[in-house]
Amino acid sequence: MKNRKHSLTKHTKEIAIRNLFGFFAFLSVLLFGLILVFLFREGLPLFKQISVTDFLFGTAWYPTYEPPEYGIWPLIVGSLAVTFFACLIAVPLGILSAVYIAEIAPGGIKEILKSVIELLAGLPSVVLGFFGMVIVGPWLQETFDLPTGLNIMNAAVMLAIMAIPTISSISEDALYAVPREFKEASYALGATKYETIIRVIIPAALSGISTAVILGMARAIGETMVVLMVAGGAAAIPESIFDAVRPMTASIAAEMGEAPFRSGHYHALFATGIVLFVITLAFNLIADYISNRFRETGSGTL
Amino acid sequence: MEKDFIVRTKNVDFFYGAFRALSDVTVDFEKNKVTALIGPSGCGKSTLLRLLNRMNDLIDGTRVEGEILLEGRNIYAPDVDPVEIRQRIGMVFQKPNPFPKSIYNNITYAPKLSGIVDSEEIEALVEESLRQAVLWDEVKDILTKSAMTLSGGQQQRLCIARALAMKPDVILMDEPSSALDPISTAKIEELIDTLKKHYTIIIVTHNMQQAARISEYTGFFYLGKLIEFNATEKIFTNPDVKQTEDYITGRFG
Repeated sequence: MKNRKHSLTKHTKEIAIRNLFGFFAFLSVLLFGLILVFLFREGLPLFKQISVTDFLFGTAWYPTYEPPEYGIWPLIVGSLAVTFFACLIAVPLGILSAVYIAEIAPGGIKEILKSVIELLAGLPSVVLGFFGMVIVGPWLQETFDLPTGLNIMNAAVMLAIMAIPTISSISEDALYAVPREFKEASYALGATKYETIIRVIIPAALSGISTAVILGMARAIGETMVVLMVAGGAAAIPESIFDAVRPMTASIAAEMGEAPFRSGHYHALFATGIVLFVITLAFNLIADYISNRFRETGSGTL
Repeated sequence: MEKDFIVRTKNVDFFYGAFRALSDVTVDFEKNKVTALIGPSGCGKSTLLRLLNRMNDLIDGTRVEGEILLEGRNIYAPDVDPVEIRQRIGMVFQKPNPFPKSIYNNITYAPKLSGIVDSEEIEALVEESLRQAVLWDEVKDILTKSAMTLSGGQQQRLCIARALAMKPDVILMDEPSSALDPISTAKIEELIDTLKKHYTIIIVTHNMQQAARISEYTGFFYLGKLIEFNATEKIFTNPDVKQTEDYITGRFG
């Protein structure tokens, strides 16, 4: 009898613990759902005033004029431009450093590099933005004789510095996950270390590396503080990489404080948030799709 | 008749850090014969095999003493490029390890590395290697499919074909059928029997019946030492050393 009672309380405890864990797991889902509802509730009323097409592809962003214009095309182009150029820098650097750390570097150097790259990830973005403003900006302005050093180029470099740790560490994990058997097979067939890296290890890790790149891009496009500080803030479609832009995130951060509650401007900024959310969601879905697809076919016929 | 030894080891010692995995191993491998290396786990037989194509170079903190000669040349001499040695001495591993590439690209991996670019030559080589490995009829219509879609036995024969495409002189096999079912094992054994006409085969096996079935010579290892090396028939019927007999009759190991 005593034994039975003991096992009953044990059972109750199990259930309680399971539910507790379940609650915490669903809490984040719930929070995400609520944020989403809020985002759409505040953003969608804008489309009573203007059409979705005018909003997305309108080229004039004058939210405080009378009458106001809410075309975010220049903001979208600004976000895409800084992200694209940031990736142009961060992708090769991130992947190459991952290859070096995972396959080439001797023990001591490997540890140092890994910790430095992790430190890079921990750098507050406002510090990077400050660096871009007072060091990189003036340097760009002087070297290329520009009206301003706060432009796409500057933002791209800063965002690249932020995306490199993401790309590098996820790629590194993908490279480590390549089975040792593949490497041995390659060496046994008379391949050198570099032939093995290029022809076997990187192709076998490609799905992980692609995921790394896309997550790095998502990181760059969602970054706010750096672009707010160094992208220049001009809501116009850029003509060169030395033009100033105003990415979506910077626009939201800079204007939200001044937009009257539930005004057209306020709704337009939330709608911009929806666009941003859709873009990053797409990046994440693509990353997920790629990593699943390649996993199923064992990297397939690369 | 003078015997033709293609690979010889002379007083080989091998260390993993401070641990001595092999001591004073001297053994000669005859050309175009099958030599089996047997012994309990951890006895050093696989270590010796991996020394023969310098695969142990890839492990940090190892050290070799003594000489290993391929046709009279010490493969551990400072001026020898391990890549060149590995091109002449192919290897098949315990677990089938085809690349996650197409069947065709698995075979062409080594030839392309060695600089063969002529597509007709490569195609001929693919067919020849797959025929030699008795896999051609099973895969000739699916050459562009991923090697990962093949069965374990087929994958292992693909790995053999991949090594053959390199045109090696010697093929090392490290328990090539231990991960396979009995039918696939029988196929691999048949294959070894036909391959020995053109290649020297050195095979590590846990399976003593397999050693008895397929090899001409057998070496018995115990605790890093070569206890006995003899004609297979002699080892399995009337070994010179008591320890060999004990192992073969199942008294230990």
